[in-house]
Amino acid sequence: MSIRISRFMLGVLLLSILAACGGATATTAPGGSGTTGGATTSGEPIPLGIALAQTGNVALLGQEQVIGAKLAETYFNSKGGINGRPIKLIFQDTAGDEAGAINAFQTLINQDKVVGIVGPTLSQQAFSADPIAEQAKVPVLGPSNTAKGIPQIGDYIARVSAPVAVVAPNALQAALEINPNIKKVAVLYAQNDAFSKSETGTFQNTVTQTLKLELATVQEFQTTDTDFTTQATNVINVNPDLVIISGLAADGGNLVKQLRELGYSGLIVGGNGLNTANIFPVCQKFCDGIIIAQAYSFAQENDVNKAFRDAYKAEQKKEPPQFSGQAFAGVQVFVEALIALDSKTKLDTLSLEQIREQLNTQILAGKYNTPLGEISFDPEGEIIQSKYYVAQIKMDETGTNGTFNFIR
Amino acid sequence: MTDFFNTYGNLMVLMVFNAMLGLSLYLPLMAGQLSLASPGFYALGGYIGAVFSTKVFQSSDGAFPVSYVLLEMLVGGLASGVLAIVVGIPALRLRGIYLALATIAFVEILRVLSLNLTITGGAIGIFGIPQPFNRPLKYLYIAGPLLLFSMFFMYRLERIRAGRALTAIREDELAAGAMGINPTYYKVLAFTLGAILAGMVGALSAHFLNTWNARQGTFDASITYLTFALIGGSRTFVGPVVGAMLLTALPELLRFLGGIDQLPQSVRDLFLNGRLIIFGLLIVLGTIFFPQGIITPRLWERRRRTKAVRPAESNL
Amino acid sequence: MTLTQFFQNVLNGLSIGSVYAIFALGYTLVFSILGIINFAHGSVFTLGAYFTYMLTGLAVGFNGILATTRLPFALPFILALLVGSGLAGLVGVLIERLAFRPLRKRGSDRLLSLVSSLGVAVVIVNLIQYLVGAEAYSYRSDPFGLGQPTVNFGTPERPIPVRSVQLVIFAVSVVILIVLTLIINRTRLGKALQAVAEDTVTARLLGINTDRLILFTFFVSGFLGGMAGTLVATSQSITGPYFGIAFGLKGLAVIVLGGLGNIPGAVVGGFVIGLAEAFVPSQYVAYKEAVAFALLFIILLIRPQGLLGRVQVQKV
Repeated sequence: MSIRISRFMLGVLLLSILAACGGATATTAPGGSGTTGGATTSGEPIPLGIALAQTGNVALLGQEQVIGAKLAETYFNSKGGINGRPIKLIFQDTAGDEAGAINAFQTLINQDKVVGIVGPTLSQQAFSADPIAEQAKVPVLGPSNTAKGIPQIGDYIARVSAPVAVVAPNALQAALEINPNIKKVAVLYAQNDAFSKSETGTFQNTVTQTLKLELATVQEFQTTDTDFTTQATNVINVNPDLVIISGLAADGGNLVKQLRELGYSGLIVGGNGLNTANIFPVCQKFCDGIIIAQAYSFAQENDVNKAFRDAYKAEQKKEPPQFSGQAFAGVQVFVEALIALDSKTKLDTLSLEQIREQLNTQILAGKYNTPLGEISFDPEGEIIQSKYYVAQIKMDETGTNGTFNFIR
Repeated sequence: MTDFFNTYGNLMVLMVFNAMLGLSLYLPLMAGQLSLASPGFYALGGYIGAVFSTKVFQSSDGAFPVSYVLLEMLVGGLASGVLAIVVGIPALRLRGIYLALATIAFVEILRVLSLNLTITGGAIGIFGIPQPFNRPLKYLYIAGPLLLFSMFFMYRLERIRAGRALTAIREDELAAGAMGINPTYYKVLAFTLGAILAGMVGALSAHFLNTWNARQGTFDASITYLTFALIGGSRTFVGPVVGAMLLTALPELLRFLGGIDQLPQSVRDLFLNGRLIIFGLLIVLGTIFFPQGIITPRLWERRRRTKAVRPAESNL
Repeated sequence: MTLTQFFQNVLNGLSIGSVYAIFALGYTLVFSILGIINFAHGSVFTLGAYFTYMLTGLAVGFNGILATTRLPFALPFILALLVGSGLAGLVGVLIERLAFRPLRKRGSDRLLSLVSSLGVAVVIVNLIQYLVGAEAYSYRSDPFGLGQPTVNFGTPERPIPVRSVQLVIFAVSVVILIVLTLIINRTRLGKALQAVAEDTVTARLLGINTDRLILFTFFVSGFLGGMAGTLVATSQSITGPYFGIAFGLKGLAVIVLGGLGNIPGAVVGGFVIGLAEAFVPSQYVAYKEAVAFALLFIILLIRPQGLLGRVQVQKV
């Protein structure tokens, strides 16, 4: 009996694999009938790839990015898409690892025939998957890759996420404005997280070199840690005036909570990993007062941001976070560069290779008024952003809901 | 067809890599030893490949010479082999689940070390690893022959004295010892061979993934390779190879199914976002319906036996 | 090290250790009866925390397919904790029926149940994400009504603060330990469990309904896991679908250190690892993660039966 079942299952498996092989060659044309297109668009939709971590242990970030990208798709299609043709986002999950990012990129490039890609979520994934897009000559915009060296991977690689070294110091300036008497600083960072590690370098340099403050202690933790009693008591023992934390949402939030519960009452500056409403349920009322530098402000006064913010609030009942804003901006840059390109030479007269190549040139040449403010790119593909912000978290009385109040 | 190879070329390479990693876990398993150390050696080989190609060999622009890659694989394999002997001699005295746990500890300790050393680039790891090939599929030029060679090696191994000694140890270690087989020697031998293979794959994989960091070769990977061997079948070397290939391809197959426009949206959504739910379910079902693995020696033994038996039956 | 620092380290160690211990109790219980490691324990721990969350009447977020749903009723926290743990216990029962029993009935390799439990873990983690998204969730603040967030064990001048929730977790893990030990050593049920643990076949011959006992064990293990998940979540909030998985690996080190399947051993192992981590000098704190595994490796080599384990006679 069991043998018969197993043979049957093997057969099914083999058949489905064959189906996959056969099907892959059959459905090469970007399918769909522009279901996402608004009333003003018609014609074959233009496929844009989105490769983000929708599953795995970084899904927390990927999830926010997906929302931003989807809102951008709806918004720009309602505005007429690419001179009348709709844009169609094709999502491929990268999960949290390098091989997953490579697979997603390959599928988007070769099977889905996208004109460009927004992604991946992690810098480490970018180091792995971006060279593939570079070889295939497909433009990539990193929505959240902040590590050093990303735009330098190649000509086709750019990012809309400003590197840590530029954004982070703003938060320290803001902290000094709130409390000019800061002398002693304690720094904590997640030692197993690439992003946190490079961010803490920037923070520590700014503290000792630029601001000439005393770096009283540096404590390390892991993103998988959940109990920070040891680090927190070590910090409290040196009696600092300012604590700087580089970590991700869950660990960073718990660290803040435990630090406060154990009696620390001074200012806290959080890194970019804490820059999400996802820390509210973690540190609850203790999140109050955390200062975080921002590459995005929902209070940014331009039309596109107002539209984005309203749409986000209608759907998620809270203010949009930076990760969603950056993903929106990534899609927007592609859309506007495609419009500009299409106005010069009609896209349907170009081959896919030509579109990808000229789109890349167009992206780097343009200026974009995005929810992040006005942005453009240097020749390497590094973002040039006109404004950075600093926000301070304000929690409500019950400690369940919070807002980012912009102070700079 | 070009599209197919472009899209799935790198999946094929990953399938071949994983097949070899499945084999590296299968080798000690031949002697009944559950070692989960392969990812540790894979990580070590990867770091050797990454460090050599970014810091030691200074290649001019253009493609990175394939001969250097082969040299890195050699060094990665040797270093892993030496480490395997050092770790294996004390660790292989342990049996069953205890050996598994000790090797898990070994992998974790290596991971923490690589997070903290400067040469491994800490948490960020090593990136910008030069490419010997202009298309991912071409990695099969190295990985393919290596897999075929390993499979041939395993085929031979199962038929010579060393292989039979391993099987004897698996079936009954005490009896094997009584027959004059030195169990420790053969166990360390199998463990070391597995480590060498994992180290070589690691060095190649560093180029393939373009970057290497402490997230490669973790506990999760240990379990994944074990799944390859047990779902594929742990009584013949074909098992882990088939298991690795199927299980590596499965999430991508589901990704593909999720992209078929004709399917209802909810089903597509389940294939895409719930792909790992299905993956997990298939693993559970696999262990229940294929307790010996998909591939068992019985598959071909029965065929041989029925052929041999039939003439005799007709005489009755 | 000053005396204050010393006591602070001790209390920190016990505080971390109690989390490890409470996780490990249900983990080791299944091992003590069946001799298998249930990799799905971490995901049952996670589920328990989510169940309690839902039962207190709070709504889920926007990102799963259950977006913004909430139950039509709301239980007080303690009641929700008990019902939630009960539900987690039922999940434990379901896991035994679907993933373990079919394998046991066939007399399959014990390693297979390791793989199938892993498949279950993959399903649960991804199902959670599919249903309620990856965001963090927390209970209403101060669910136990403790009032103050910390208790000072030092003097006002030299404070040695400990978080109040940690004290609750510490107390609960000790209470569970005592209750479990009493059940196992003092009741008929306990004697039957011991008999099954010693030899399932003989136990069955003696008229013990082994299947029912094993089911019961899984219920208790799931119940304890779910309760532990909720308690740890009151301290750290539910940090996403991977919440409990993070403890799985260190939990392994804990239960081996105490002696696999040894119930007081799980608690002792938890505290030993917690204390060892707390006493890592601050300049080496980067290597803290390796401490548990270095201890595991060493203990396996010198005393594989664990700190409290008995030497088992090797069955030949």
